[in-house]
Formats: sequence, C-alpha cells, structure tokens
Amino acid sequence: MPYRLELTGITKRFPGVLANDNVTFAVKPGEIHALLGENGAGKSTLVKMIYGIMQPDAGEIRWDGQPVTVSNPKAARRLGIGMVFQHFSLFEALTVLENIALGMDAKIPARELEARIREVMTQYGLLLDPHRTVATLSVGERQRIEIVRALLLDPKLLIMDEPTSVLTPQEVEQLFEVLRKLAAQGCSILYISHKLHEIKALCDTATILRGGKLVDTCDPRQETSRSLAEKMIGAGLRDITRAEGRSIGQAKLVVSHLSTQKAGHFDVPVDDVSFTVRTGEIFGVAGVAGNGQNALLDALSGEIRSDKDAISIDGQGLGMLDTTGRRKRGLCAVPEERNGHAAVGDFSLSDNSVLTARDRLGMVVMGLINSGAAKTYTGKVIADFAVKALGPASTAGSLSGGNLQKYIMGREILQKPSVLVVSQPTWGVDAGAAAAIHQALVDLAAAGSAIVVISQDLDELRALCDTLAVINMGRLSPARPTKEVSVEEIGLLMGGVHGATEVHDAIPA
Amino acid sequence: MQFRLEKRREPSQFMLYATPVAAVALTMIVGAIIFSLIGYDGLGAVREIFLTPLTNAYKWQDLGVKAAPLIIIGVGLSIAYRANVWNIGAEGQYIMGGLAGTGIALLTYGMTGWWVLPLMVLAGVLGGMAYAAIPALLKTRLNVNEILTSLMLTYASVQLIYYLIRAPWKDPMGMGFPQTRLFSEAARLPTIIPGTIVHLGVPIAIVVGLVAWFIMTKSVFGYRMRVVGAAPHAARYGGFSEHKTIWLALLVSGALAGLAGVLEVAGPFQRMVPGFPTNYGFTAIIVAFLGRLNPLGVIIAGIVLAITFVGGEVAQTTIGLPNAATGIFQAMMLFFLLAGDILIKYRVRRVVPQPQAGAA
Repeated sequence: MPYRLELTGITKRFPGVLANDNVTFAVKPGEIHALLGENGAGKSTLVKMIYGIMQPDAGEIRWDGQPVTVSNPKAARRLGIGMVFQHFSLFEALTVLENIALGMDAKIPARELEARIREVMTQYGLLLDPHRTVATLSVGERQRIEIVRALLLDPKLLIMDEPTSVLTPQEVEQLFEVLRKLAAQGCSILYISHKLHEIKALCDTATILRGGKLVDTCDPRQETSRSLAEKMIGAGLRDITRAEGRSIGQAKLVVSHLSTQKAGHFDVPVDDVSFTVRTGEIFGVAGVAGNGQNALLDALSGEIRSDKDAISIDGQGLGMLDTTGRRKRGLCAVPEERNGHAAVGDFSLSDNSVLTARDRLGMVVMGLINSGAAKTYTGKVIADFAVKALGPASTAGSLSGGNLQKYIMGREILQKPSVLVVSQPTWGVDAGAAAAIHQALVDLAAAGSAIVVISQDLDELRALCDTLAVINMGRLSPARPTKEVSVEEIGLLMGGVHGATEVHDAIPA
Repeated sequence: MQFRLEKRREPSQFMLYATPVAAVALTMIVGAIIFSLIGYDGLGAVREIFLTPLTNAYKWQDLGVKAAPLIIIGVGLSIAYRANVWNIGAEGQYIMGGLAGTGIALLTYGMTGWWVLPLMVLAGVLGGMAYAAIPALLKTRLNVNEILTSLMLTYASVQLIYYLIRAPWKDPMGMGFPQTRLFSEAARLPTIIPGTIVHLGVPIAIVVGLVAWFIMTKSVFGYRMRVVGAAPHAARYGGFSEHKTIWLALLVSGALAGLAGVLEVAGPFQRMVPGFPTNYGFTAIIVAFLGRLNPLGVIIAGIVLAITFVGGEVAQTTIGLPNAATGIFQAMMLFFLLAGDILIKYRVRRVVPQPQAGAA
C-alpha cells in the first residue's frame, strides 16, 4: 500500500532563515503521526506547505503515491486534507451550525448540513448541540466544532496543530478517543505538539524537527519523555534547580474579595477572589482559557483598579493605584499577550524597557527620558536572559515569540520586584527558553519575592508552584499545596465541577 | 505575471522617507497629465505651481508667511495623530485663537506697551485650547467620536466670526463693512525683515517645530503619545491613562492651532474679517501626514504645501488655472502619500504562477 502522504526533500527558505531544510518523511494510512519540535523548529511552515498555505522552494509532495502541487487550502481540502488550527476561526455570536455552514466550500442546504453534522457527531461521539451559540461553549467544545468542520469533508489526512494547549485533562482524553476512532477507520492524523507524554500516549510514529532539519523518526512508545526531549532540543535537558534554603516567609501579597466589572460582551470578570502569597512562594493559578485569567492579571497589575484594600502588599492597600503606582511599590506584572500588550512591536527593545522600567530604574529625569540608561538596562536584559536580538535597537516585533518573552520576563525580573504576577510565562516558547524562564522565576522566589503564575499548562504549574488554585468562571478555588492535589482533582476544578450551579446560571438562555 | 504584497520583517526606513518624496513627484506627473487632458497647459501648471515659487525670489516671503501657520498647526496635529487622537477641527481652534486674540486687541485698543502682544498670544492659545477641550470632554465622558465633534465645531466657530464682526465687534468707522477695526500698533505682529511681509510668526513656527521635535523624541510626554498610538493596550500596561492622553493630545493641538490663529490675525490680517478662515486648519492635516507626523518633517511639509498655495495663485494669473486646482494638487499629494505608505510595512514581490493542484 502506498503512503498516504510522502514528503521528499522539502525545503523552504525565508529571508535570513532556512525554515525547512531537506525534510523527508511519510505518513501511512490510518497512522497517528506526531510532528514534534520546539517553537521555531519549522513544524508550522511544513504543515502550511502540506495544507497549501505556502509553497515549498524545493522538494516533492506525494499523495497516495502521486506527486501533487497543493496550490491553496481549497485544493488541499479537495485532496482530502483537513486541518484544525490552534486558534479557532469562529464567530462567537453565531450558532455552531451557522459557523460550520460559513466555512464550507460548497453551499449545502441548512437542513441537509445539520443532518450530516449530527451523523458525524454521533459517529465519533463528538457531543455538541448544533443550535448553541458559540459564545456559550467552552474551549473544548469550540474545538469540536473545528473537528466536525474538518470531518464533514471526509478527510484522509487530518492535521491537528497543538490541539490540547487549551483543554482540560478530561477533554484531552475525550479528544484522543475521537482521534483513535478516526485512525481506526483509516484516516491518517498528523499531530503537532511539543507535549511529550501526549505523543507517547497517542502516536504511532514521531518525526522530530530541530532548526528546520529532520532529526529522527522513531516510535515514541519506545522512547522516554527525556530521550524525546533531548532529540527535540538537541542537548541534555537542564532540570529546574530549586535553590537550597528557599524558605516561605510571611504574607506578602494579600488579595481579599477582589471583583471586577464585566467590560466586553464575552469578557469574564473575576468574582470575589481571595488568596495570599507569601515571600519566597510561587502561587499557581490553573484554569482553562477564558475563565477570568485576563481580568485577574489586569486587576493585579493595576490596569483595572479596585477598592484600596482588595489588594495589599505588606499590609498596605494599593488597589486604587495604577500600574505605575504599583510598580513603585514593588509589584510588576507580565500579561499573556506579548505583542501589543507586554511590548510594543514597532518600538525598539530600548524603548520597550522605558514602558515599565522607567520609574523603578530612574530612566526619567525631569520629564525627559534618559535613553542611555534605557539602553544599558536593555543590554543587560539581553545578556542576562540570552535574548537572541541584534541589540537594544532591534524592534520588539522582529524577535521570535520565545525571545520576546525572555526579554519581557528579564525586563521585569531584573527590576527585582517584591511581587511578580505573570500570565502564561512560557506560552508558545520553546523548551530551552521555557526552562530559562522557569529557572529565573525560581531564583526570584529564592531571593524572597512573592510570585503568582497564571497558566493553562498544568505541567508547568506542577513543576513550578508551591501552592495551586484553579480559576473557573471568574471564581478561584481554595489554594492547596501542589504536592497534595492530583491532576484529576485539578481537572475537575478546571471543568467547574465545584460550582456546577453557578456555571449553569452563567450561560445565557 | 502576478504581484503580491508581502509583510516586511521590519518597517522600511527608506520607504518612510521615500514615499513623501514620491508622492510629491507623482502629484506633479499625474497633475500635468490631468490638466493637459482637460485642455490646460499641464506642464506649465506644474511648473508654475511647484517651481515658480522657488525660483522667483520675490515669492519667498509669501512662502514663509503661508508656511508659518501650516507648520504651527501641523506640528500640533502631528502630536495628536501620533496618539491616534483625530483632531480634524484645527480650523475651528485656529479661528477661536484668532477671535480670542482679536478680543484682547479690541479691549486694549489705543493702548501701548510691550505686554499687549504677549497677552493676545496667551489669549489665542487659551482660546484654541478651550475649543479643543469640548471634543476632549465629549470623548472622555460620553465616548463621542472626536472626528465628528471637532469637525462640526469648526462650522460653529465660523458663524461666531460672522456674528461678532457684524454686531458687537463691528468697526464703528467701517462704513458698515463686516469687520473689526484695524488693531492699534501695539497689537500688530512686527515684521522681522524690513521691506517684506515676513512677520515674527515665521521664526516662531520654526522654533515650535524644533521644540516639538525635542519633546516628542526625548520626553515622557512624547513617549506617551507614541505608545498610546502604537499599542493602546501596552500603554495602559505601561501606566499611561487613555483619557489623560486624549486630553493632552487635544489640548496641545488646540493650543498650537490657537497660536497660529492669533499670529495670523495679528500679522497678515491685523483685524478680524470674514475671510479669516483660510482652511489652514484643514490643509495642516495634509502637512502633518506629509511630514510623517514628525515635527521636523512637518516643517518641510509646511513649506511644500505653502509652495502649492503660492504657486496656485501664480498659475491663476499666468495660465488661468482655476483656484480649485490648488486644492486638487494638495489632495492628490495626500492620496498618493497614503497609498504609498503601504510600502513601509509591505513590499511588492513578483509571484511566478504555479501550476494548479493535481486533483482538479
């Protein structure tokens, strides 16, 4: 039997970067094939060429044994290639059915389409009401829409791009069931991820990319997570070293009965949140995206103000202060969105340092910016955090995601904040950079700062945090020591099991 | 053969400065073609509009006098536009500045003393500021779009001129003409080059541009304006309140438009007349964009636009071009500039057509 998909010598060059260098691998019918690599390893570029979004500069793509040129996504779909993107393209105000109808190449009458959707859903156990409005659905349910949309076309190859990054552990298990069923029926699956335990649990074959080159094709079930990671990163892994003698001291950051207003239509505010972080402690907030994490970060950083005593450091209320006022009191924050929120893409790194470090580090004298000081500080951040940038004058937008995140984390950490609040510190960051960022957070805690980490990555939180709480629909569960909570418990809390009645109240009729 | 726009990794510095030049060049070429097609001497029109004001030394003083208000207003607008605050009503703020200055000139009529002019200038600045405060208040309190309010207030200010010069401020010796009396000596802007019409406003415009450049590049105020415009979310994270920025942007641009107004009424006009609104406030929008929202660029752009004004007048007399031709040339310049701006962030690449997919 010929391979379903065969890539030979695929090469793609961008100005200054060789994104894919002579990549060769093949996917069998009915195989779940992992495409593994760090961010920037060239996975996305490769997949974009398979799906027709880009064209290779050299090399050949064979489909069921025949050489093909996939000139655009429509042609890919005609061949039988479906793709579920990491970021969904759904209209929140429309229903499931309307969203699927909008994405179809062929116009199908609504009644017929609904029948087909229900058929696909029952066949694969994808439970979803076609008439629900997307805004009322969880992220896992939204992903199911995208999967249904792809399955309606009867694909022979389904590409999944980092599908589990926004799911609860239970939802991940459900997704895997669906994928296994699909594979059993002969559909090949190309599964892109950097989560090693998932790949070990799900995939038959793994193709590992590093720096645009193919490193290895192996059976992930025969490998350990560590050996896979080392192939992916290309060097021995560095474990986070917990500094000796890190001791958790007295209460530093106290949040009591913090609530925010609903700003946008689909915005989730925080509701009566209370917690305490002590010096030297790393406090983790787990939760599925869109459960009030953004509002929590904004309320802590000072972008949203609150009652004076809702937030206090060392017993002094600072809820009424803006971000500048809070920074002066030692509270720094890093929001989730790097470009346009934590940094200005069009500005140089030096100018981006002025954004948050100007007061704590004396970059402003009588209303004038001391650009020399900003440059020196930026140089220090670049050096200390191994940021790959030409220098302080490079624009933030020219850096890769991981490097920009390292710069942003460095910019805040080197200000030696007594309280640091970070959201998704390693979102979309390669393993090497993630390890460096984790180490920096641990070191900062060891130096006596109180740290809050808001993240959707449970592995990250469990590795990093001393204490964990889960946010769901804007409410925070009671905090517990990380060692005492199981993944299952966290998963249930993430799914909102502790407050089922409230969840139902929150869904508009 | 196909062409495609491709996003650049970094914005092109070359294009940033090349597109204004290209826009002026394209305006000349297309202008020449269009006016030839409708039966005028197209080449002559371009020559008279763009070159004569430069080659004829006698016209230079006109250039300075026309450029000064354009530069002063354009600098203010460039600051506001940086912060994405779209003050379109500089003409109204210019008028209110002129009226406030006129008020002081009439109150102090017949008096002498060095303090009269500074007082007028102060009044003019405050007048422009106060008028720009209305859109700021509406925007920050009720979220009313400042483009609409600032523009509509312009028409209200024109009516205010007509009212004032027909009734309370009418020249008692003016034989019924709707205008104020000629300001007394102390309320007139001195000329700085004897024998010409070049008044104190011309060097003031240059100083305003230089000071604004320094503030925009070196100060926290300038940083605030740039960051709010480039990434409002990041600005909030950095501790810059959006409302305060809107107020600052409108007050600064209003103040400078008011300054231009008072300098204009105390300089070239020396009295308030119905013809005082000369669309400087609107033309300055083109100046601000042509100058790349950079105060130094605005100085150059102000001179370029002044050339078209002076040249337009020349062309009216020499080749009988209608007055509206000046407006057409100015509008073309803005059009080509905005169209060309896409090349700063994108580049054009030729695409070699690919054969269609195997499965048809």
